[in-house]
Amino acid sequence: MADSIMEKRSLKVGFMPLTDSAPLVVAKEYGFFERYGLDVTLEQQNSWATMRDKVCAGLLDGAQMLAPMPIASSLGLDGQRIPMITPFVLSRNGNAITLSQKWYKHLDEHRLGEGQPISATAIASIVNKKIANGEKLRFATVFPYSCHYYQLLDWLSAGGIDLSHIELLIIPPGNMIAALKSGEIDGFCVGGPWNAFAVRAQLGFTAATSSDIWMDFPEKVLAVLASWQMQNPNTCKALVQALNDACHWLESIPNRFEAAQLLSGSQYLNMDLNIIAPSLLGSCLTYKDLPPRQINTYNQFADSESASLNCPSIDDGRWLLEVMQKSGHLDNPSHALLQLPHIYRQDLFRQYFTANQDVAPR
Amino acid sequence: MSILKSDTQPLLKLLLVDYNSHKTHILSEAFDNEHYQIEWASASGMSLLHRVRESKPDIIIIDIESPDRDMLDSLNMLSTTAPKPVVMFSEDQNSQVIQELVKAGVSAYITGGVDSSRVRSIIDIALARFKEHQNLKQELADTKQKLSSQKVIEQAKIWLMENKHCSEKQAYHHIRKIAMDNSQKMEDVARNILSLANMLGGSHG
Repeated sequence: MADSIMEKRSLKVGFMPLTDSAPLVVAKEYGFFERYGLDVTLEQQNSWATMRDKVCAGLLDGAQMLAPMPIASSLGLDGQRIPMITPFVLSRNGNAITLSQKWYKHLDEHRLGEGQPISATAIASIVNKKIANGEKLRFATVFPYSCHYYQLLDWLSAGGIDLSHIELLIIPPGNMIAALKSGEIDGFCVGGPWNAFAVRAQLGFTAATSSDIWMDFPEKVLAVLASWQMQNPNTCKALVQALNDACHWLESIPNRFEAAQLLSGSQYLNMDLNIIAPSLLGSCLTYKDLPPRQINTYNQFADSESASLNCPSIDDGRWLLEVMQKSGHLDNPSHALLQLPHIYRQDLFRQYFTANQDVAPR
Repeated sequence: MSILKSDTQPLLKLLLVDYNSHKTHILSEAFDNEHYQIEWASASGMSLLHRVRESKPDIIIIDIESPDRDMLDSLNMLSTTAPKPVVMFSEDQNSQVIQELVKAGVSAYITGGVDSSRVRSIIDIALARFKEHQNLKQELADTKQKLSSQKVIEQAKIWLMENKHCSEKQAYHHIRKIAMDNSQKMEDVARNILSLANMLGGSHG
């Protein structure tokens, strides 16, 4: 099945210990990489910036990255301009906004309706109270060039919250729970398993998920250097095909439960199954006394009806450029728009999957 | 001699984030106390952020594998704490490639051995690069500010011309006179005019 000329067989791929690292973990543990002739070592990373730098330095062949990161790197927004591409979307959705439990009683009539998200209008009175005391409501995310960051801003703005009345911080995901508990932050927008963790620990309530804010938007992508793909075209294709198989394997619910068990192991997330499993099974824990919300696409990895779910489309990239500009991360999007087809490589994705029937579920 | 030196040149304050104490201690030996004042931070997350605020270091040094790196890097982008230059270190002997990246200006990294003159030059370069970057950012912000104030004055002029039926020159002098009489900036006067116009349901837009 593998191409006859594989430029490189032994690869190092970076991942973050998060729920949506599932496709990489599954591909490794269930032999999907091997199926395509690859010997992949997964290397756990602790920060996104180091993940990026290691890919740029060739210490990693490829990595799981936040969807805006290849754009930021290719445009030189976060340092040196280093052309980076994504040929494959690993997951959609998966983030959520969780607020400190102490604010729940202040929501009054805006409290969670059955199965419904909470709009940021619900926290307007809390924001105003804080401002009256000369303080600001404080939110944390994990990286500036992330959908977490932009989705949080969007949720706040859509609820009529003046962003100048909010303090935004970047803190490591592993510190979110402690910061919420100590009251140093009032809420956060991150991916799994941290939202479920906060609800299980009765420290927070999950107000909205990324599915409520930007429906089905790419969250994590496979990123490699543009030069790496040029030097290793067949290897890149094999890597994408293996991950695509893993994503499709993750479509079935019983398989997802298995994946949750894998992820909870000590070499990956090292966390309780009852924290990791809910989002993978389409269930969003919201608040201690309430039944969870049913969101089937909470963690979305593939769709047998539509191969485009894993395609890094230029339209999605264009949306990101818009929000990056709105958030002050990008001055002039016109140059970036021209670059986009060289970053979000929908052409490569199509090339990989239209020649044969590999897109079809196995 | 050394006393004289430190009198004229203040010590550079380094905050060493202690993620892996063995590696950090070896690194700390590269810094002599004639030029450097070393402070240690063993905290993570919010506590580390507080530590940075209190200790006001000139430069932060952190292990490349530390989970706190994104937080410290972001101090440049978010304004909640004064931005600080951050230098990464890695004891990985195979980090030749990262050194290549440093040459290309990606980020400041200390890799391999901790030969003190080399480490010091990396710190100096990181500091200089950071200052240059901050200056550029400030210039950009100033230019933007200038452009936006020109735009506001322009709009106020147009409103006056349309609603007070005066020439462009008269409108300009009108704004300038109010500004001088009240010792305000022309930009602020223009803003007041526009908000008043808005309130009156004026037709400037």
